Amino acid sequence: MIQMGEFKVHRVRFFDYMPSAIRSMAFNSHTERLAVARADGAVEIFNFADNYFQEKVIAGRDGRSIEALCWVGRRLFSAGLEGEITEYDLENLRPRYSIEAYGGPIWTISSNSQGTLLAAGCEDGTVKMFEVLEDRIQFQTNLSRQKGRIISLSWHPSGAQIAAGMMDMIKIFDSETGQATHRLLVDRGVGTSKSREVVVWSVAFLNDHTIISGDSAGKVQIWDGLTGTLIRTHLVTKWDVLVLAVSQDESSVIAGTSEGTVVQFQFLPSTVGQQDKLWVQTRTFKNHSHDVRALVHTDTAVVSGGMDTQLVVRPLLDKVEKNTQESALHKIAFPHRNLVSCAKKAGLLLFQFPDHLELWRLGESDRNGTPGESLPVKRKPEKLIQLKIKGEDHICCSALSPCGSWLAYATVAAVRLYRLQLSSSNVSIQKVSKLPRELKSVHQLCFSSDSCRLFASSSFSSVVVVALDQTDCKYLHTLKHKSGSKQPIHILSPSEDGQWLATANTDCEIHVFNLRKMKLHCSVPAYSSCPTAVSIHPTSGNLVSVHADQQIFEFSLKQKEYSVWSRQLQRQGLHPLWLQRDTPVTQITFNPNNPAHIMLHDVFMFCIIDQSLPLPEAKSKLYNQRILQSLPEPQRLRESHAFKACKNFQHLLSVNLLEDLSLVVVERPLVDIVCQLPAPVRQKLFAT
Amino acid sequence: MAKKQRGKGASLQKKAENEKGVGDFNLALDSSDDEAPEEVTFEDSKARAVESLKLALDTARREKELLKEKRRKRQEFFQEQKKKKLLSADVLEEIDSVPSKKQKPAEDEGLSSAALPRSLKGSYTVSTATDRGQSDYQRQAAEDFIQSRLYGPGSCRSSNNEMLSLKNKTRADKSAAVQFVKKDWASKEKAKAEKMKRRWIHKQQIPTS
Repeated sequence: MIQMGEFKVHRVRFFDYMPSAIRSMAFNSHTERLAVARADGAVEIFNFADNYFQEKVIAGRDGRSIEALCWVGRRLFSAGLEGEITEYDLENLRPRYSIEAYGGPIWTISSNSQGTLLAAGCEDGTVKMFEVLEDRIQFQTNLSRQKGRIISLSWHPSGAQIAAGMMDMIKIFDSETGQATHRLLVDRGVGTSKSREVVVWSVAFLNDHTIISGDSAGKVQIWDGLTGTLIRTHLVTKWDVLVLAVSQDESSVIAGTSEGTVVQFQFLPSTVGQQDKLWVQTRTFKNHSHDVRALVHTDTAVVSGGMDTQLVVRPLLDKVEKNTQESALHKIAFPHRNLVSCAKKAGLLLFQFPDHLELWRLGESDRNGTPGESLPVKRKPEKLIQLKIKGEDHICCSALSPCGSWLAYATVAAVRLYRLQLSSSNVSIQKVSKLPRELKSVHQLCFSSDSCRLFASSSFSSVVVVALDQTDCKYLHTLKHKSGSKQPIHILSPSEDGQWLATANTDCEIHVFNLRKMKLHCSVPAYSSCPTAVSIHPTSGNLVSVHADQQIFEFSLKQKEYSVWSRQLQRQGLHPLWLQRDTPVTQITFNPNNPAHIMLHDVFMFCIIDQSLPLPEAKSKLYNQRILQSLPEPQRLRESHAFKACKNFQHLLSVNLLEDLSLVVVERPLVDIVCQLPAPVRQKLFAT
Repeated sequence: MAKKQRGKGASLQKKAENEKGVGDFNLALDSSDDEAPEEVTFEDSKARAVESLKLALDTARREKELLKEKRRKRQEFFQEQKKKKLLSADVLEEIDSVPSKKQKPAEDEGLSSAALPRSLKGSYTVSTATDRGQSDYQRQAAEDFIQSRLYGPGSCRSSNNEMLSLKNKTRADKSAAVQFVKKDWASKEKAKAEKMKRRWIHKQQIPTS
């Protein structure tokens, strides 16, 4: 615990949050959404048109391992080692159905450019063709069975041929007849790797019948698909080339390696002015410390992900304007939603893991100190409960009531509610067995501030309200809005006095419901960026929202219009450094002692916006707290502006204010995550 | 004459064998072509042949009998085991009578549970066992394949500690290896090392004390 300004701060570092490795990615250029599949079976959707905001997360499942993702139109399919192809329902955030391919583990899926067929490469050596129907997929035929496993697939843009990367070879199939027409033999590595088969991890079939392959011997090879001959070999790395991606116009190919580098090849004339072009190795990007297993080549950027769990978007500087927000490197290492719930009155924290929940009681210190001082801890924080999920589906969302006596979590299959009884010596937890049947398909959970109501966001963008009694719970009402959107609600925020419930969905809509009358009160005017945090001020009744593009709005619920302060902020505009931050604000809190304060945080900083102070000018320093501390009093008052940011704590997962006005800061330093990743390759550097 | 000649061959051998002990140099003289062969009657050799045949037949018969014995004993043993496994006869009778009684009321109820000849009273349901044995095995084999290709022998992997420590060493403000800086690194290994150290010290102290 430390003393920071007038706050006692509980610095919490015992949340062992471990993100999961990125296994596969697929980009839908029409909707500008990137789908990311993680090693634990979770699928995340990022909106590339909205500051790379993580819009949706579909929780994983024990036993589901995704090897490949594929968009067909607006539909998302995945396949994995359990031998099934799954289609996802992106409005209800769950798998729609799974069908068995009966070919053993599936290594890859790919759809033709017409969107009519889905090909799956299986362990038993078959390429299975599925017809894409309106509401399902149906098995059509097998291509001729081969003797080795099919690791990678690539359709020719015309759909007439398909190239398959296998062990030691690449086969080209005619998709009509199903026969293999060409066999391209891939060289094994040198030395000890000559005894092992070479795995063709990735292939790309271009329009001019060029085939580009990346294999485990570290080579990127260019083949002529019409004659079946090797044109050129590029030895890119000592380790494996795990993945390839081709740009839309087929002028650039990127290869991801086990070293964490992404190598770019471009189709350029060999000498300036010449007409004949060939594939030339141009740039190398090193943005990862561990293997790169997933790549996407958009029109303007290289998107990579791998075993170090971070999603990196590297804009290509010849496609965007230099030195702008557009050209900055984006690294997304932490989730864009809250995994920590805090019981403000009881001093408890609930940590959400994919397969279990942990309930901790915070430590105590009874001394006060000077700012910056570390306070001695009288009682250490202790883990009270570890609650493991029943079944195989992972946790979507969880919540802890402010009084600390109710705990709830939801998976795609069910909602579970528990009653907690905590005393200084004894902890007991009791499951509430009969839950209302309206509580299903829940994406977000939230307790009211008096712990008497539970709000659950459900299908068709509705909110189910349930009343909590001593031991059981009763269904009260379903709140619906009238906008017609079916997108899931990802933010639920009840007001302190229990009168309002603010909701936000991924269609960028914010609706406020009146809980006394159980109906819609008003909808905030539409804004193009998705809200990342929404909260209602306890005294003024204003709704404060922060969006993915870092804009802040304050909306008065009584007058149903933007507040004066919000209009002033929009007129002056936010500070450029504020707008350039690349992690979203996931939580807004208010200080009951000081109604003019709005407390918010992102991964790298914690900020108090003081509405009574003037807004910062664009040319003034945004992060000026340290400087202000060194200035004399009268000058300090002149230089102060509304945004008081503190960068002492990193990396922040959650900031909460307890009832006794002490702050709880949950940190997860990135180093702690890196320490637990799998082994990276051994780099031999000179003089080390 | 031919029979005698045959007899001769046999008797010559026998003679040679008998006289070996006497003197080997005599053998050469004995087996000269001048002497007349010994006479062995046909009956003798026939008798000998018949004897050997009988011996062979006897041994074969004996072996067959032994095998038969073995098989019989095994069969009996299995019968014993089977008897032990089965319940006693009266318990079996009782069980047999009960299902026949139960069948009748099931038929009276009609075809409420259509596919079941025997009724399952109470809250029971029938479902196919999710036999995931084969697919789990295949999935495990596929995962092992990836694991061995990426992290198996010949993959030249280092450790996170080494990678981070190198970063610490090569940056502008150099600092120590991460394993020294981070207190909670490899806490389990440190605890194990501590335990072993204490055990070793204890061992060292015993002979001296």
